Amino acid sequence: MKDLLLRNRYTLLVVTLIVYMGVLVTEGMITGREARGIEFENPYFDFNSADFEGIRERRSDNENENIRVEFDDTGDV
Amino acid sequence: MGKFAVLQFYALLKREVLEHRNIFIGAPVVVALLLLVAATWVATQIDQSDLAEGLRFVSVLFDGLSPFDIAPFIMLLAIPFYLTLYVCSVIYLINTLYQDRKEMSVLFWQSMPVSNLQTVLSKIVAIVLVAPIFYVLIIFGMYLVAMVWLTVLGISNDVDLVGIGYLFLAATASLVLIYISAVVTGIWLLPSIGWLLLFSAFAKKTPLLWAGGVFILVGFLEDFIFGTQFLANWVASRTSDPNQYLIFEFQSVFERVFNYDTLFGVVVGSILVAGAVFMRRFTD
Repeated sequence: MKDLLLRNRYTLLVVTLIVYMGVLVTEGMITGREARGIEFENPYFDFNSADFEGIRERRSDNENENIRVEFDDTGDV
Repeated sequence: MGKFAVLQFYALLKREVLEHRNIFIGAPVVVALLLLVAATWVATQIDQSDLAEGLRFVSVLFDGLSPFDIAPFIMLLAIPFYLTLYVCSVIYLINTLYQDRKEMSVLFWQSMPVSNLQTVLSKIVAIVLVAPIFYVLIIFGMYLVAMVWLTVLGISNDVDLVGIGYLFLAATASLVLIYISAVVTGIWLLPSIGWLLLFSAFAKKTPLLWAGGVFILVGFLEDFIFGTQFLANWVASRTSDPNQYLIFEFQSVFERVFNYDTLFGVVVGSILVAGAVFMRRFTD
C-alpha cells in the first residue's frame, strides 16, 4: 500500500487531494457549512457576495421595471 | 526535543532568512521608505503654520488617552505592510521547495542530518512566526523616524508634545497587536500555506499555475460530479471576513486561536503539509 501511494509524485498528489477533499466534504456535510460572504448594506442597495442568485433576480426585476417605465413614458403616439 | 534538534532548527530558520532577505527585510524596508517619502512630500505641500496647527490638534487629541485604546486605530498604518507580507508569503511559499529542487540544493540538504519534516516545518515557522518579527521591527523603525520628525517639528513651532508621546506609546502597543494578528492570520491560513507548499514540492515547472489550476479543477469536479460546493464554501468562509483573524484587542487572542474553525483549518492544513513532506522525496 505504501509503495503504491508513494510510487510517484502524481499518485501522492492524487492521494493527498482525495484525503483533503474527503475531510472537507465530510465536515461540510456534517456541519452544513455554507459560504460566509461579504455583506454590505446601506440605504441604496444591499449586497451579499454569497447570494449571487438573489443579485441576479433583483437585477432582472429592475430591468423589467425599467422596460415598463420606458414603455409607459412613450405616451400616445 | 534535545539541544541538538533546537540548534538544527535554528540553523534551518537562519538559512531561510539569509536566502530570502529580500522577502523578510528588503520588501518592508522599501514600503517604509516609500511611506516616509510620501509623508515628507505631503508635509512639504502644506503651509508651515497649518502643519503646526495640525500637530497641535493631534497633540491635544491624544493627550491622556490610554495607548491600548488607540492602538487598534494606529494599526491601520500597517495595512501596506500586511499586504506586502501577504504577497511576499505567497511568492516565498510557492517557490521555496521548487527552488530547492531546481538548483539541486535539495540533495545537499537531504545528505545533512535534517529530515524533510524539519525542513518543511522550518519554512512554515519562518513565514508565520519569524517574518512578522522583521516587519514589526521595521515598522517600529519607521515610527521612530516619524516621532523624531514630529518632535523636531513640534519644538521648532513651540507645540506641547505630551500628546505626541501618548501617540508614540499607542504606536508601540499597536506593534504587539500587529505581530499577533500576523501570526493568527498565518495559523488561520494554514490550509493555503499547505496548498502552496504541496505544489511547490510537486511541480516540475510553473508551481503557481499548478496550484491555481488544480484548485479550480478540483472545485469544478466537485460541483460537476457531486453537485456540491463544499470546497468553494470552505474557501469563501475563510477568506471573506478579515475580522476572523485580525486582532484588535488582547482579550480576543485566545478566542481567535482556540475555536473550531481555526483548529479544523490546522487539521486540514496539516494534511496538505504532510503531502508536501512526502512529496519532497521526489527530487527530480
